[in-house]
Amino acid sequence: MKVDRLFKGTSISMVWLWLSVFALLPTLLVLITSFLKNDPVNLFHWQFSLQNYQALLNPIYFRVFWHSFYVAGLCSLICLVLSYPFAYLLARLDFKYKNLLLFLVIIPFWTSSLIRTYAIISILKAKGLLNSILLTLGIIHHPLTILYTTTAVIIGLVYSLLPFMILPLYANIEKLDTQFIDAARDLGANTLTTFTRVILPLTFPGIMGGIILVFLPAMSMFYIPDILGGAKSLLVGNLIQNEFLSANNWPLGSAVSMVLTLAMGVLLLLYRRANKIGQYHDEPLGEI
Amino acid sequence: MNRLARFSYLAVIYCFFYFPIVLLIIYSFNNSTYSLLWHGFTLDWYKQLGDDSDLAVVALHSLEVGVLAASFATLIGTIAATCLYRYRFFGKHLLHGLLFVLIVSPDIVMGISLLILFFLLHMRLGFWTLLLSHITFCIPFVAVTIYSRLTGLDKYIFEAARDLGATDFMSFRRIIIPMLWPAILAGWLLSFTLSLDDVIISFFVTGPDFQILPLYIYSLVRLGLKPELNALCSVMFAITLFIVIAFQLALPKKVNQ
Amino acid sequence: MRRVCFFILWFSMLASPAYTAENIVNIYNWSNYISSDVLKEFTQETGIKVNYTTYDSNETLYAKLKANPRTGYDVIVPSTYYVDRMRQQGMLQALDKSRLPNFKHLNPALLNKSYDPGNHYSIPYFWSSTGIVVNSKYPASQRLQAWSTLWNPIYRNQLLLLDDVHEVFSMALMVLGFSPNDTHPEHIRLAYLKLKQLMPNVRLFNNDGVKSLFIDEDLMLGMAWNGDVYQAAQENSALRFIYPKEGFVISIDSMAIPIGASHLNNAYTFINFILRPDIAKKISLATGFATPNLTAYKMMPKVPLNNSMIYPDKKTLQRGRVQDDVGVAESIYQYYWELLKIGG
Repeated sequence: MKVDRLFKGTSISMVWLWLSVFALLPTLLVLITSFLKNDPVNLFHWQFSLQNYQALLNPIYFRVFWHSFYVAGLCSLICLVLSYPFAYLLARLDFKYKNLLLFLVIIPFWTSSLIRTYAIISILKAKGLLNSILLTLGIIHHPLTILYTTTAVIIGLVYSLLPFMILPLYANIEKLDTQFIDAARDLGANTLTTFTRVILPLTFPGIMGGIILVFLPAMSMFYIPDILGGAKSLLVGNLIQNEFLSANNWPLGSAVSMVLTLAMGVLLLLYRRANKIGQYHDEPLGEI
Repeated sequence: MNRLARFSYLAVIYCFFYFPIVLLIIYSFNNSTYSLLWHGFTLDWYKQLGDDSDLAVVALHSLEVGVLAASFATLIGTIAATCLYRYRFFGKHLLHGLLFVLIVSPDIVMGISLLILFFLLHMRLGFWTLLLSHITFCIPFVAVTIYSRLTGLDKYIFEAARDLGATDFMSFRRIIIPMLWPAILAGWLLSFTLSLDDVIISFFVTGPDFQILPLYIYSLVRLGLKPELNALCSVMFAITLFIVIAFQLALPKKVNQ
Repeated sequence: MRRVCFFILWFSMLASPAYTAENIVNIYNWSNYISSDVLKEFTQETGIKVNYTTYDSNETLYAKLKANPRTGYDVIVPSTYYVDRMRQQGMLQALDKSRLPNFKHLNPALLNKSYDPGNHYSIPYFWSSTGIVVNSKYPASQRLQAWSTLWNPIYRNQLLLLDDVHEVFSMALMVLGFSPNDTHPEHIRLAYLKLKQLMPNVRLFNNDGVKSLFIDEDLMLGMAWNGDVYQAAQENSALRFIYPKEGFVISIDSMAIPIGASHLNNAYTFINFILRPDIAKKISLATGFATPNLTAYKMMPKVPLNNSMIYPDKKTLQRGRVQDDVGVAESIYQYYWELLKIGG
């Protein structure tokens, strides 16, 4: 139908226009810069060079990437474990003010994350709330040094990224059809089997959405590791920030950014491949 | 699982979210400038806040950009997710890739590349460059949230609608949007949160006449966090809480399908 | 739905600021570096409206101006070696001193330094020193007179160092007897090796939370800026600031006019206003930082004046070194800084 073509045409064009100008162009700029030679005065020479990527082959950069993977991965896992029951319970709640509860999840995150991070610092400090409580209760005898360690960084990251796991999960679980669960029960499945073989696969897109929105930002965040971790180690985010701002080496910074993007892309692709085998959904409908 | 266990778990997570906020509010009454320990009660910071009209303007700017960016991003993101789900078209994979790149890109890379872009386009830095950048980085978050919900929909609904004579636009408006409503809301909330808190990208793309709150806070932190900021955040928190609760309670309840 | 759309459109039209009369000046400065009544006084006296925005580091200021020279800022306040770098790269306008009659009030000891000979591009705004901060309750705090004592193994996991490559490397270079602006690759490498030995003593690198960490006694020892220590000492009187024997870095934050400035006349008016002794005294007292304005300094009340934390005596000042731009050696410094952090 002609009206259909018009609708399809306008929507796709609109999206394309926006993303081409504000996403594609800047990305191309970054890609091009990563292949240029560094120049301390003019930021880069208009000269093709692979020196940035070659520099990245240095094993010290592998350590940076590996450490970031570890921190981001741990953070995503913890977020998933904490969020899933929460999102599930919230989504299946039969409560008049369910939307309000959803809003209440996100309102704390409208206060500046920087200030909340300082609130976390005041909790974890040597004379802070956590230590005071534990000491008074006699559970420990010396103040715990959590601050300025990787543990503090993980706590900070989990706290900041939790709603990014909860919201996609919630959006997905909310539409879960109870008929499937009832059917499984009728066929004799116990709770565990229902969960692993019916609920989990059906909510899988939500899980993937949540992981994408948590793991990827966690890899490139730098101020939480800086503030809570004492800036003693370099994560990928710090590395990029360092290259762009302190070292004024924009080509190298762009190269690291490109490598990060590529690494994430490869992971995502591998993951999709691995799951095509156990896919319950067919391909989404094409043109009807 | 019994109700008590369920509610307890929900309560625990809510506490986890709100505890630092409560602490923040308590510290806004702290009688000390730089210490992060309790030194006594004072209302000085709220008085200072009342006198500081600049801060109010800055906070207002942030809210403006947040609401607008979230709304436009939700619009574009929803359309993008729907197109990716339903249609096959030229450059579909590239679009997918672009959305992905937007999420992965570190803020600083996006900030600087957008700044260069605005320079090449001869755009004056200020409100519009800020708004455009915010919309751009919010879009993929909306798209991912909505896409993950779309894949859970019963695809035969579209066929049924077609059979009954609906055009694509009608099925978009009458079927997809209502069915996606929780995801759209979730997407809007995510975008608003991201926009309100964004520091790095905003730093690079805003101009001299448009200062926003997160930048103000971030640059203030460099020289030591003043409790006046705690007071500001407490006030903003109280206001948003009040508005949201009032809004929810006052709305006529829709029938849940 | 339609109503929502109209509302959003109307709201967006309301939100975009109107471009009204151009009697404004765009100031881009460090946060907490001025008091708002000084800005109000300026507007009252001159009728020029001030758009005051802030940044938190030289690096971000530099990156922003580099990426887009047309940002529209009229006055910026970079620190010593960034003035040097920006000056050499043609990012700053040469200043016409005849339009700045209040320039004569500045302390000559802080003028005509190597980062900007003749002060053709920058006007000092505040100055500070980097030294050792120690809580006097700490045993052996009396004996801390030099940077080299920080390497003592008894300070394991106790130190706070500034998260700044040049401050940290300057410390090591001065301990080894070199200049903090050394560009010789071998000297920088030696400094790196020296710092590697220090790493087990370092608990964290930080620039922002210094005050609260020392007030709340999370840390007892470290490297800090004298302005921070002075303000922290107001809340915890046990804190002391020490100007190390080997030498210490002096930072001078200076006002400069970038190339893309749109309101040149107003920029000069503003800078001249700040140089007025009574104004310089006001902002120094309000923020707690040292003013380079000699006339203002003489007008100060006794308390900050006699405090050696902020204003060291002449003899101590001789050990102070200003930081210059290290040019191409910058990449060597950055490489070793990253190595230090990755290995740590």
